[in-house]
Formats: sequence, C-alpha cells, structure tokens
Amino acid sequence: MKWLPSFGFQRRNRELQEEIDAHLQMAVADRVARGETEESARHAAAREFGNILLVQDVTRQMWGGGWFEQLGRDVRYALRQLRKSPGFTITATAMLAVAICANSTVFSWIDGTMLRPIPRARDTGDLVSLQRGERNYSPTPPFSYLDYRDLREQNHTFTGILAYHHDWITLTGGAQPERAYIANVSANYFDVLGITPMLGRFFLAEEETRAVPNVVLGYSLWKTRYAKDPAIVGKSIEVARHPVTVIGVAPEGFVGAMPGIREDLWVTFDPLGTDPWRMTHRSGGAVWLNVIGRLRPGMSRGQAAQDLDALMHNIVAAYPDDHLGDNRITLDPMWRSPFGANGYMAATLPILLAFAAVVLLLTCANVATLTLVRFVSRRRELAIRQSLGANRIQLVRQMVLEGMLLSIVAGAVALVLTSWTSKTFAWFFPANSNPLILNGSMDHKVVIGIAVSSLLAGMLCGALPAWRSSHAPAIEVLKAESASISGGSRNRKLLSGLVVAQIALSLPLLICSGLFLRTLRNLAGANPGFEQDHILTASVGLNIVGYSHDEEQVMRHKILDRVSALPGVKVASLTDWIPMTLGHKGEDAYPEGYVPHPHESLQVVHAEVSQRYFESLHIPILQGREFTPHDDEKAPRVLIVDQTAARRYWPGQEPLGKNLRIWGRLFTVVGVVRNSTHTFVNEAPEPMVYMSFFQQGYETIVQVETEGNPVELAPAVQNVIHEIDTRLPVFDVRSMRESTQMASSFAVIQSALAGMFALIGLILAVTGIYGVVAYRTQLRTHEIGLRMAVGASRVDVLRLVLLQGLWLTGMGLALGLAFALGLTRIIGRMLYGIGANDPVTVVSVVTLLGAMSLVACYLPAHRAMRQNPVTAIREL
Amino acid sequence: MSTSMNEKDQYKNRIELLQGTLDMLILQTLQWGPQHGYGIVQALRLRSGDVLQVETGSLYPALHRLERQRWVQSEWKQSESKQKARYYRITAKGKKQLASDLDRWEQIVEAIGSVMYVKPEESAS
Repeated sequence: MKWLPSFGFQRRNRELQEEIDAHLQMAVADRVARGETEESARHAAAREFGNILLVQDVTRQMWGGGWFEQLGRDVRYALRQLRKSPGFTITATAMLAVAICANSTVFSWIDGTMLRPIPRARDTGDLVSLQRGERNYSPTPPFSYLDYRDLREQNHTFTGILAYHHDWITLTGGAQPERAYIANVSANYFDVLGITPMLGRFFLAEEETRAVPNVVLGYSLWKTRYAKDPAIVGKSIEVARHPVTVIGVAPEGFVGAMPGIREDLWVTFDPLGTDPWRMTHRSGGAVWLNVIGRLRPGMSRGQAAQDLDALMHNIVAAYPDDHLGDNRITLDPMWRSPFGANGYMAATLPILLAFAAVVLLLTCANVATLTLVRFVSRRRELAIRQSLGANRIQLVRQMVLEGMLLSIVAGAVALVLTSWTSKTFAWFFPANSNPLILNGSMDHKVVIGIAVSSLLAGMLCGALPAWRSSHAPAIEVLKAESASISGGSRNRKLLSGLVVAQIALSLPLLICSGLFLRTLRNLAGANPGFEQDHILTASVGLNIVGYSHDEEQVMRHKILDRVSALPGVKVASLTDWIPMTLGHKGEDAYPEGYVPHPHESLQVVHAEVSQRYFESLHIPILQGREFTPHDDEKAPRVLIVDQTAARRYWPGQEPLGKNLRIWGRLFTVVGVVRNSTHTFVNEAPEPMVYMSFFQQGYETIVQVETEGNPVELAPAVQNVIHEIDTRLPVFDVRSMRESTQMASSFAVIQSALAGMFALIGLILAVTGIYGVVAYRTQLRTHEIGLRMAVGASRVDVLRLVLLQGLWLTGMGLALGLAFALGLTRIIGRMLYGIGANDPVTVVSVVTLLGAMSLVACYLPAHRAMRQNPVTAIREL
Repeated sequence: MSTSMNEKDQYKNRIELLQGTLDMLILQTLQWGPQHGYGIVQALRLRSGDVLQVETGSLYPALHRLERQRWVQSEWKQSESKQKARYYRITAKGKKQLASDLDRWEQIVEAIGSVMYVKPEESAS
C-alpha cells in the first residue's frame, strides 16, 4: 500500500497524457514532412491513434497499484460513463432517491415511535407492557394498586415492575393557570426505566403510599415555567392550588413511560392523601394503573406471562368479587404496547414500510431495465476492452460500480430529503387534547437503513445487467451489428422479465391504495350516529383548579346557564367526554340478573353527560327519558344505556328499570339511546352507558350546538366562562368536526402514503413498458421497413408492436393479481365498508394499468407505423 | 485472430497480432536501442513491410505492462527533432524474457508449419 496514492496517480496520468501528445506530434510532423497540410495531418494522426480516452483508460489499468488506485480508476471511468448519458444518470438517480426516501421516511417514523417507545430509558427491549383481560385498541388502565403490588412483590421473572396513571392538571400560582400532563407513579418508576435525576432525587420506596406532597419536574417544564432555576429543588410550587415540594428534575428528553404521550411532572400515587379509596381497593374506581415490567436477563416474555398468570389466578381466587371479568394477563413489547400510541403505530407503519419496499424493488427493476438497454448499446466498447485484456471480473466490477455510484448519490439525496420528511409525521395529527409527541426521528439507525437500501439497490441495478453483458463473447460482439445484438434471446427474456416484474409489483400497490382511498371515503361518509356539524366543545379546568366539590357544582350550573343564554347558541350541555378523540373511559359493570360467560369482559364504556346532551348531538332517545337537572347527587343514581348494552345484558327484556352495579353502587336504567360511534367508525360495538353529569361528572366540557359556524362562537364562550372566574383555564376549544378528525388520522396516513407509493408505482411501470417497447421497436426499424416494403400494411405493423407490449402487460397483470390477492388479505383489517378483494377496485385498477400500458405501447407502435419504409431500411 | 487479406482494402491488409506476440515484437524492437511509442510503431511497420500495424490502443497498455513487469525501463528524453518523448529501454530481465518468447514462438511456428506443410501422400494414408 503506497502512501499518497492519488498524488502518484496524478503524476502518472499527466505523464501518460504527455506521452500520447508526443506521439501525436511526431505523427503529425512525419506527415507534414511527407507533404501533407498541417490540418489534414492532424486529423489523420488523430484518426490513426483512435479513441484516446479508451487508450488512456486501458493503459491505466496496466499500472496495477494499490486497491485504492484501482478503485479510483474505476470510479473515474464510471463517472465518465455516467456523464456521457446525463439523461439516464439524472432519471435513475432521481427515481432511486425517491424510492429510498419513501423507505427511509417510513422507517424514520417507525424509529421515532416504535423503536424509541420511551426516550432515554435503558434497554427498552427488556420492558414489557402488562394487560389484564381483553386486548383491544386503547384499553383503559387495567390494574388496581393492590393487584399491582402483589404482582410486583411475588413474581420471579422481573427485575422490577412499575405502575403509573396518566392524567392532566393545572399549574397555578403563576399569572395564568397552565395545563400540564402529570402521572401518578410508583416509587420505583424511574429506577425500573433506568432514568437518573438531572437535579435532586426521585421518589423513595417509603413515599409510595404515604401522602407526601413531593413532585418531580420534567425538563421542559423546568426550562419553560421555571427558567431552568438551578436551585429549584426544595422549593414549593403550586399544583391545582396545593403547595407541593420539588424534589428533583428529570433529564432532558425523558417524557414518561407511555409511548408517544408527554408527561410534564410526576407525583406519587396519593400525594395529598385525598384518595385513600384507590389505594385500598381492588375494583370499582380503584382500577387505574398502567403497568410496565422489566424482564430478568434471559427470561422470555412467555415465561413471564405464565408467572404473572399464575399469580393473577391466585389473586382472583382470593378476591373473586373484585375480578368478575376476564383476568388473563398478556405481555407486549413496548413497540406495540396497547397503551399510548404504539398500538396504532404497529398496526399502520410496518405495512407502509412493506409498501415502500415494493416501491424500491420496482424502481430497481426500472433502473435495471434502463441500465441493460444502455449496456447493450455499449457492448462494442465493452467487447473492445475485453479484447484489450480487461477481464470479465473487471468489467462486472466496473458496471456494478456504476450502479453503486448512482445509488450512493441517490442515497445521499434521500438522506437530505429524509431529514425533512421524517418530521412531517406530526402533520397527520390534527389539533387534539392528547399530549402527542409523535414524530419521526433521524438517527444512526435511519442512516444505516438508507445506506443498506441504497447498496442493495445499487447491486440490483448494476449487477444484473453487468452479469448479462459480461457473458457476451467478445469476438462475436465485435463482429455483430446492433440489430443482431438486440436479437439475442437471452437479453430479450431479461428485459421482458423486468417489465413483467414492474407491472406485477405496481398492481398490488395500486389495488391497496385504491382500497385505502375508498376506506377513507367510506369513513368520511359514514354516519357516526351523532351530529358533527354546528357543534363546539370547550374544556374548562374546573376540577383541577382546586375548588371544593360543592363550589364546583355551583360553577358548573353557572357555566351551563350563562353559555345557554349566549346569542347564537341553540342548545348547551355539559359532558366529560368527546367521542372519536381516541380517549374513552371504561369500567367494569355488573348488570343485575346477568350471568357472564367465562372470560367475558364486563367492561362498559361510560360518559357523564348533562340534560340536552343527546338533543345537541341529535342522538335519538329510543325508550324512557333523558337526564334532567333533578338527576343530581341527592337523587338516586340513574343511567341511560345504548342499544348494544341493552341487547347484551337484557336480551328480549325491558331494559328500563333494570339495575347495574358500578363502583359498588347501583344505577337504574331510565332510558335507551341509539348506538353511536365511540372511537373509530369501524370499531366493534362495545356496550356504553351514560351517567348523569351532575351525579358522576369529573372533567367539565361545555358542548354547544350553534346556529352558525361553531368556531365563530368560540371567543364568546371563552369570555362568558372567564366572566364567572378569570382564573378558570379554558382550552381545547374547537369544533366537533375538527376533534373527530383524530379518529381518521390513521386512515389518512395509510391512504396518503399508499396513494403516493401507488402513483410512483404506476409511473414506473408505465415508463418501464414504454421504454422497453420503444427500444425494441427502434431496433426493429430495419425489419419493420422490410416488412412494409414487401407489403405489410400499417395496421399489421401496429399489431406487431402492440401485441408484443400487450403480451407483457397481460403477464404482468396476471402475476400482479395473484400477488395482490395475497397482500390485500394483510390489510383487510384496516379497511372499512369494502372487501379486501373488492371487485370494483380490482377491475378498475386492472383497467387503469392496462389502459396506461396500452398507451405506452401504442406510442412507439404508432411511430413505427408512420415511418417511411425506405428510410427505415437505410437506417442501419 | 483475423487474417483477411483482401487486396482491395489497404487498411485491412494487416495482421492483427496474437496476444503475447506484441510483447515479443516490442522487446525485439528495443533490442536495437531505446525508442519511444511512436518510434516502435514506425519501426514495426517498416520492418514488416507495412504488414504489421500495431494499434496504439494495444501498444501503450503493453508498454506500461512491460514496464510494470520490469522488462523495460522508461525515461523522458529529447528526440532528434527536439521533441520531448518517453523512451523505453529493454532491461536484462526483458532480454531474458525475449529469449524465452522467441523460443516459444519458434516452437509454435514449427508446430504450425508441420501441420500446414504435410505431404499429400502422408495425409492420404
């Protein structure tokens, strides 16, 4: 290995140039001496010398030298070849860059969400999320504190198990009350996650159950609200009007244990000693904790699940009345934990990544087609190089290098693009009341992903044509004319195969995107069972400001009265839940006289609503009555159930007057309302019960039906609430339409990306078939001219060319259809209102692709048909 | 190897060289004294009566290969016509190589000759 190889290379290169110059000058001088003119001598000498670049190139190969010099020479040669055909170079690079970027973008989203479920936590691969009972999207917290403590203390498979409860609260004491997201956590919370404090300390084991008003601040809250006060530890701050002491600050980047959801501060389970019920019961309102465990080294998820299941079995046996429903324990790795955002991510993003991979394959097939066509036309040159002593390996290496160069440049472009597109993920989520922190991330994993995919793409694009071309015997190629080169049946087969592959790969992409787009349209057009237009909702931070319970009730009545009186307001009501916003509350309910099946979940979804709620949302009351202002805390507890609940618990009976036991309390059914959507339009129906807002309401959301545009009324609603108490925080003021967009955001992501990918696929497939048919037709110019000269009509020529293209299209469509039928089964779960093999979609996509291919074949056919046979024959 | 001897086409009236033979011819040319690339082409053409035409595309790769194998050495010198050129000189190692090349060449010629000049009566038997 020589040092400074490029320096030596430069010098030798210059010397070679001088040597050749000298040669030419001597040749010219000789010719002039023989009596030729200077100019003709120069031309003759140059002609005699031949291709200077080629001579230099082959000569350089004789120098040998270190691998670095050889590589440098090959790179230079490849660059020169690519520069010679800028059209090809730019097209291929752009196509590869887009395809790689499609992959890296989706991967960066996976990387930012599923692969980093808990930022800053240690070894998240060892963490598992615990679920009790039925598995579904966005389950409610599954464990009571006592159950959690038993599992934590008696298991043999975890190094630690933590618990938390996510909530929100108001920070008071400043100029303006501020909403913050908070979690009640077990004392070992930070320890199990492997987080160390940036300032101060975290919670001690003895603080877990005691009423110690200590708080740990998140980094961003410490930075924004407390201006990075280095002496914050030990100071007292006000949370919901209660003084609490800051004991520590979490490190930058840590935002809590729920994937995709931000928390700003952390307290213990009952810091104020106001909620002993939740610490001492196993059912009723005491089931409130999400639980995450860290597996012991070498322990598998299956072993841990068995261990916990056995423990849970004992707990159920000991407290059967507290565990009536399904109690089986399931464990999920954090990347697909049903708590937080990853459940949705895991259902959406991997499929999109698979689509992107298909796009990359397609692009490689397309670029390989172009490369092959280009190499066929370069075969004479390659054969000359071979006859001059370049061996086959060298040729293959050079061609692979050309493919590599293309894909490396494409990868670099994709890297730049991805640094921007990775951050576009957040765009898909409309403004909502969840503290979502979802976005893609651009780290070493993404860079490695880009490098790997561009190298693979380079191999595919370069190696295939190289392997083909290098098999051509040199002498034959040297002798052969271009027409007979094209006639090589092996080349024709490879080209045809590539075209068929492109069509076969693009068809499933198109079908899937068609299905997604129609799903999106169906979702948008579906009737959720409640009115979405002319509805405005606004959250009021009443319960978190620190009022006494009685004060709160008075305020609520005041708010309802004042808002009702506003001009432009048709109906005003109070609720503590907005449908289709990914949030819901669930509770185990025990219907009187109902015997559940073994393992049947007794969970019902519940919401607390005031009088006129159903009226404002246009949900019809089918039986009985709606709530009245008299259904307050002094009155007997009442319930309104939906059709699903009525049918499940009292089939064929009169639901009115029946009782349900929730939180150990009896509720009497006074009405039945029509079903409406809870979270997703395509959800499986769950029983829902409505409780009276003034009996059980927790959060306060004002819901207004307006005469005009609901958003215009927002300032008036806010003002009227501030008139009651200026310190009342009002937030998440938006129209129902805007809020419910959250429910379709995943469908939007799917259809937007699948649509883009399919469009790319369509363009690639159509240009692919056009390119090959045009190329082949051009090579057959001579033959077509002959055919026409001996009497073939233009229609015959048209048919000849078209048939060739259509045969390829037909093959591609048939293969693609088979591929698509397999693929659509995977996305079946994500569709709504349409079958996975929907004939209309399949037929229209096949027609579209077929028609586009027909056009792509027709253009060259038309050109061939129009040409003059005489010029065509001469063209050789 | 193509040996088309179409007399109408002067340009094609040349023998393309067997690989390996070119090395021998270059080394032989350099036996008569150091020479530059152009000079080698001219010398070969003159001595072969315009039959041997060395393509520059073969000559320079061959010269550089021979130099790498240390059969020739090169230096920059002024030619008689004041042209600065790279002169190649055969080395001792090159002379040895030339001798063995020549040996092999004679064997081939003899072998081919004994095939080509077979007497008819012998082949009939």
